Amino acid sequence: MESNWAVEHLQTIRTLMERSAMYRRALAPIMIFAGATGLVAMGLGLCLDVGSSHGFCGLWLGAAAVAVTGAFLLARRQAIKDQEPFWSPPTRRVTLALLPPLLAGFCLGLLLLIFGQGIELAVSLIWILFYGCALHAAGFFMPRGIKWFGWFFIFSSCGLFYVFMLHLVDFDVNPHELMGFFFGVLHLTYGAYLYLTERRKNAA
Amino acid sequence: MNPEPFLQLDRVIHEKGRLAIMSMLAASPELSFTELRDALAMTDGNLTTHIRALQQEGYVAVAKSYQNNRPLTTCSLTATGRKAFAEYINLLEQIVRQNKAK
Repeated sequence: MESNWAVEHLQTIRTLMERSAMYRRALAPIMIFAGATGLVAMGLGLCLDVGSSHGFCGLWLGAAAVAVTGAFLLARRQAIKDQEPFWSPPTRRVTLALLPPLLAGFCLGLLLLIFGQGIELAVSLIWILFYGCALHAAGFFMPRGIKWFGWFFIFSSCGLFYVFMLHLVDFDVNPHELMGFFFGVLHLTYGAYLYLTERRKNAA
Repeated sequence: MNPEPFLQLDRVIHEKGRLAIMSMLAASPELSFTELRDALAMTDGNLTTHIRALQQEGYVAVAKSYQNNRPLTTCSLTATGRKAFAEYINLLEQIVRQNKAK
């Protein structure tokens, strides 16, 4: 009996600390927007037959820029709607967690594309890997399975690297389709899952 | 049961409202007055009173600045406050352990 209040106190403290540290803006619209952008980029890549390394790089970096800008605007709109500061401590923490892996992936991918030819597939896998790392890092400050989503990207890219680089399976994969699947289809699926399970009211 | 840990609990932190404020601030480098008020569903007056009590104990630091030409009050835990909060948690855990061992 006497320990009950202490346990309850500890539980309350834990909940409050999590609430204070967690980024809780609605992720569903951001994920759906990112997914739609990924699918459009894949469509453009396939329809326009973008085959060169530079074209591939330009197209997908452009898509990333659109997705990031869209995510920023959506998060800002939510903050204004909820009359809360956009650049809140949880937002700062999530941004700082996302930044190093995204920057590393961006630089490494760019270098490979500048100095290598015909390695779009490897670059795609590197981007998927670093993006997974970024999601996992941000997951420490975000609820709703982001960490698992990140792990899926990490494991998939490592597995595919192994399969493709060691030629364990002999099948042709278009890098645009690979990117479209990971950055388009998976984000749309995750966004739909969030929409269906998200509580109606969210706050950061 | 050894009553020691219970008696050692910091009375200033032990109050429900102040404990909530300390918990929120312990997980964040700083929080604005508005963020605290909204997150804890407190009135301005209530929050001010609690923050003042914590400030008097040297647990919370309050900074006043301007953001977009509007006054902004931010609160953060001081080193003393962080230490007191950690001790409070340790004592609570001790109480739970003691009761489990019985």
